[in-house]
This record gives sequence, structure tokens and C-alpha cells, in this order.
Amino acid sequence: MLLEKTISDVKESFPEAILDVTEFAGERSVHIKCDRILDILSFFKEAGFEFLADLTAVDNLTLGGFERFVVVYHLLSHESVERVTVKAYLPEEKPTLRSVESLWKTADWQEREVYDLYGITFESHPNMTRILNPDTFDGHPLRKDYPRRGRIERSDFPQVKRGIRKENETP
Amino acid sequence: MPMSQDEIKSNVLTTTIESAVNWGRKNSLWPMPFGTACCGIEFMAVLAARTDISRFGAEAIRFSPRQSDLLIVAGRISIKMMPVLIRIYEQMPEPKWVISMGACASSGGVFDTYSVIQGVDQFIPVDVYIPGCPPRPEGIVESLLKIQDLVDKEKLSDYALSDTK
Amino acid sequence: MSRVTFEPLETDSMVLNFGPQHPATHGTLRIILELEGETITGSTPEIGYLHSGFEKLGEDLDYNQYITITDRMNYLSPLCNNVAYALTAEKLIGLEVSKRTEHIRVLMCELSRIADHLLNVGMLAVDLGAMTAFLYGFRVREDIYDLFEAATGTRLTTSYTLVGGLIRDLPEGFDKEVLRVLEEVDEVTDDIETLLNKNKIWLDRTKEIGVISKEDVYSYGISGPMARAAGIEWDLRLKEPYSSYEDFDFDLVIALNGDVFDRYLVRMEEIRQSIKICRQALEKMPAGEVNVDPDLGFSLPSKDEVYNSIEGLIYHFEVTMPNRGMTPPVGEAYVPTESPNGELGFYIVSDGTRTPYRVRTRPPSLINYSIFSKLAKGHMLSDVPAILGSINIIAGELDR
Repeated sequence: MLLEKTISDVKESFPEAILDVTEFAGERSVHIKCDRILDILSFFKEAGFEFLADLTAVDNLTLGGFERFVVVYHLLSHESVERVTVKAYLPEEKPTLRSVESLWKTADWQEREVYDLYGITFESHPNMTRILNPDTFDGHPLRKDYPRRGRIERSDFPQVKRGIRKENETP
Repeated sequence: MPMSQDEIKSNVLTTTIESAVNWGRKNSLWPMPFGTACCGIEFMAVLAARTDISRFGAEAIRFSPRQSDLLIVAGRISIKMMPVLIRIYEQMPEPKWVISMGACASSGGVFDTYSVIQGVDQFIPVDVYIPGCPPRPEGIVESLLKIQDLVDKEKLSDYALSDTK
Repeated sequence: MSRVTFEPLETDSMVLNFGPQHPATHGTLRIILELEGETITGSTPEIGYLHSGFEKLGEDLDYNQYITITDRMNYLSPLCNNVAYALTAEKLIGLEVSKRTEHIRVLMCELSRIADHLLNVGMLAVDLGAMTAFLYGFRVREDIYDLFEAATGTRLTTSYTLVGGLIRDLPEGFDKEVLRVLEEVDEVTDDIETLLNKNKIWLDRTKEIGVISKEDVYSYGISGPMARAAGIEWDLRLKEPYSSYEDFDFDLVIALNGDVFDRYLVRMEEIRQSIKICRQALEKMPAGEVNVDPDLGFSLPSKDEVYNSIEGLIYHFEVTMPNRGMTPPVGEAYVPTESPNGELGFYIVSDGTRTPYRVRTRPPSLINYSIFSKLAKGHMLSDVPAILGSINIIAGELDR
């Protein structure tokens, strides 16, 4: 099948970049070092996994793993109806990796989302700005060390008083 | 030709200006739905055939704040949206009323997170709250009737005083 | 002799702010448009006006609690979200639900798909000035709401699934009601098509507007009716069947032009296919339990047992207490499902505790919306509502 063949081809072509290949609940994951991400994903794309279904990240602060951050790519082949997960590990000190926007335009917004929520930057991305939170937002909320209730951002607004009408008693 | 006593009785109605104005206002509210999430969908249901709010004279939905006098905050308000909401509230001409529809607008609801405002009444004045997540259309109709009661109690003297200030 | 010359009329390019409070933005979208006269030369969508921290919340709630949050994601068809999330959690844990549960889930998903498509077509029509289609569509949508209310207890935020089953079985007489509503849906679908399909204004405003090519589908990751309208034969219900969709007989709907009109046609035809699936689901509904065996420690005992026996009560506490209850293995799972908008996937990473370590939603709205700038370029300002309406952006899912 396409999946097995591609995985063994990738292992052969990038032996130094592959950390591990695992299987859980019938899903194959390829764990890689972050520096060869663009080459490996274009290899997958040429092999037939031409649909980037999803791009996201996980903060491995308490879970453990090869490094603190991992960017997860879910690839799909329409032809052979198979999926593969590619996980690129990034160190905490320098959370940066190459953008795959040149391969799939859909990565544009999703990489911005990862940047916004995790603070992972993508090199050679056309517009690396926040997408969900306001530009003035401080911090990256999906990191495990960010409190769920936030710092003060949700109560930091001016209070508008009633205009000419008096304060009504509530009905 | 002067009117006879009988004609006057059947053609003339005496009232105060205040109640005449309030009567007109309360039966022709022009809502501006600030629908952001699920509550916005239920608000659509109120406009549709089954619970038709034109029965209460409030079907003239205006998406421009300058033309409306009832702001319906329907849905959760995020930190990015709050400045917009404040601005829209300030753009509405007086007199104006505000309904906070649903749990999210009233208190943040289930979204106790960094980016959701925990109740819009912290920042803008709210007249009527509707409970529910989302409220049923009947709840929205009920809140409209509550607003009508409020409008009925308006005093024109309040406006006169504030103008002389 | 002096000659009179006419300078060409100069128009400056203009920047127009569209939204976030605008009737055609269906909530909270904002687009910054660059216009040359009335022609769009560039556009920058800005999103995030409804960002509510769904994914952060998921790391704090346990597996069953998060189902209530998924309702509020795509609020046009919350049941599809419930099912997608439950399927992912079940895959992670390794639970097998009964055939009956799977069939009920299919039935509910297809009813939501009908309701979603009806509202989407209706809103698209309202934005283009055809109010009637919306009112017709919403009338049967109310009937579908009644069905949901009978089965789940609420109209919109259904929370119908549990990890390993459903909160309750279908009520008695449900199938008759469904058949009655389906008949009405059938009629209304025909009515809407009669109103719109040959309407000159409708055709002028939807044909050749916002055309998506096959290459775009792959490059932008487009899925669902939008991809099928561009001629891609891809429907997860048929290609990667989940929740026993393989038991049902229905057709994959595609169109060829990829414009707004074709997306409308695909949605209308999908309503008919969904009606077919619903009828089959009712016909073949298997008997049996809806929840997995309570001894596995994942499903709650019935309310009757909880209220009337001490063992039931203790058992209920065992499942719901913060330091007990279900603990899935360490691992991760991604399950794609075909929601009315496209591929809705949940990606759950578990660290072996009661709460997920990470819950990611693959939001079809966000990914389908990212092509907007490309679609709008070169069209007129008045085509923006048509394109937006045909993408069917749900802000709750877009921003999460």
C-alpha cells in the first residue's frame, strides 16, 4: 500500500531526520526533527499525500516527548484513502521551523493560528501575525503555562455609563 | 362648524404627551441584533414564521446602530469584539435599551476562558437579561414585553432636565 | 484653434471596511476590501472576533463534559459535532458502540445536515434579496427543531452523545414524526428550487461567481460541498465510512463549475440524499442498548437505578467523581467526519488522565474561508455576500 511504501521510502531518504515511526489506534505517525520538515512534507506530497487535512501544534510541557513543542501535520491521500500524521519536534529555546505555505496555501492561516496560540514562528511565511487574538494580546494562550482564565485581558475595558436616562430599577 | 358634544366624545382623546410618546415608542421598537453566536440563530427563529415578532411591532431589524433603539446582544463577546460593541452602543441615539440575550452575554456562560467577556453588563448598561443557553424564542418575546414595560415608564422630564444641564 | 480633450475619468482606489457588524457577515467576520470603483482588487479577511478558547477549555473538562462545548461550535448542526467528538474519544479509548447507537447517530447527523443546508441556502437567498426561500426553509427547520427537542430535550444545544453511547434512546413514536417531517422537507426542497433555479436575478448573481478550481481544492484544503461543487469526488461518508455509513445506500453529489450556483445545487441535492439516508436508517433501525456495558466504567447507569438503588448511586459517583471515572490510554486519535461544511475532525491527545491533554478541532469553516481573497478578486462589491453565503462560515467554528 501507498502508506507503508512512502514511510519506508522516507526512512531511507532521510535517515538522520526520522526520530521514530509509531502506530496508535490504527493511525501511523512519523516523528521527525524540525529542520528537514519542508523536504519531508514535499516528499510526502509527491508520493501522493496531496491533501493537508490539518496543521496544529501540541505543547509537551507535562506530557513529555522528544522536545517541548510539536507541530502536527495530518496528511491525506484521496487516491488511496490513507492518512498519515507527521510530527515535527521543536526545542523550547528556539521554536522556529520552515513554513509549508509554498506547498499548500491552506497552511497560511493555520500556521498563523499556531503562532498566535503557541508562539511558534514559521520562517518564510508571508504574513506572520496573530490571527485569532487581538494584535495587542500578550502571551500565547494555548501554552500549558498560560492560565485558562487569562491574566487581565478580559476585564480591561472602559465602562460606559448610561446616557441621559437615569439608572432604571431592574424590572 | 363647531363640533357637537357627541362628536367631541367620539373623536377626541385626552392624554399626556408622555404616554402618547411612550405608547408610540414601545410598539415600534427597532432592534439591532448584535448576533455573534448560537443566540443569533435563535434570534433568526424569532423573526421567522412561528414566533413572529412583528406581532409586537419589533420586526424592523436595523443593522445600523444609528437607526435603532434596542440593542440585542446575542452571543458570547470576545475581547476582540468588546471594543466594537462599546462603539456600537455609543453610536445608538438616545433613548436606547439593551437586552443581554443568553448565558454567554450575561455572564460568560460555559466559556470561563481568557478571551470571553464575563458578562457585557460590566461595561455597558443592560436593561433586561434573558437566561438560557440559548434562550427559546418565547424567552425573547418575553424580554421584548419587559422592554415595552420599561419604555412605558419613561419620563419625559428626565430628558428635559438633562438638556438644560 | 484649441482642441477639447477629455481626460479619462479617474477613480482612486478605496479601502472599505466590511464588518464585523454587518448583516451579510452572519456574525462576526471582518473583511478589509480594496476597491477600484466597485471592483474588488484585494481583500484581507480578519477573523478572531468570536475566539472563545474552546481548545483551552477542552484541557480542563473531562471527556463527557466537553461534549456540551462542542454544541456551541457549529451551531447550525450541533449534532454532527457531538458525534464527531464522541467518535474520536471512542477511538482513543477503544470502545465499540452498538449498531443501534450508530444508526441513531447517522439519523441525527442527517437531520442536522438537512437543517444546516436549508438555513444556509435560506441565508444566501436573504443576502441576495430573496426572503421567501429563507422563510420556507425556516418553517421546516422549526419542525426539525421539534424532533431534536423530542429526542434530546433542547432545540439547539443538544449534547446528545456520550462517550460510548447516547444520553437517551429515541422517544416512542419518533419514527412517525420523522417521516412526516421528511415529507415536508421534500416538498419545501422542491419549492425552494422552483423559486430559485430559473430565477433570472438568482442566476445572474450566482453563476460564475467565486469559481473554485480542482487545484484550489488541494492547495487550500477545501472539503465538503465546496469541494464537491468543484468536481472532486470526495465524501467521507462514502470514502472513509464511520458510524456504519457503509450500511446505507446513497449517492455522492458533485457539480462541475465550482461557482456559487453549483454550491447551492450541491447542497439542495444533498438534502435529498439525506432524506434517503434518514428513511433507510428508520427502516433498518436495529434493536438493542444504546450505551456500552456499564461495567467498562465509561457509561453512566440509568437514572432509574441511580435514584432507586444504593449500588446505582455509588456507581454513578464512581464515574463522575474528579479522581475516578474513565481514564483512556496515553495516545492520540484523529477522526475525520463529513459535517455539512466539510471535513470536521477532532484530534485528541491523551496523557492518561480524566481530561484530554489537547483537543484540537479541524474547523472546515476556517479552512474553507481561507480561499476567500482569491475568490473575491475581480468581482463586484455586491458579490461579496454571495461568496460569503456560499462558503457557509460559522463563526463559532471559525474562531473557536
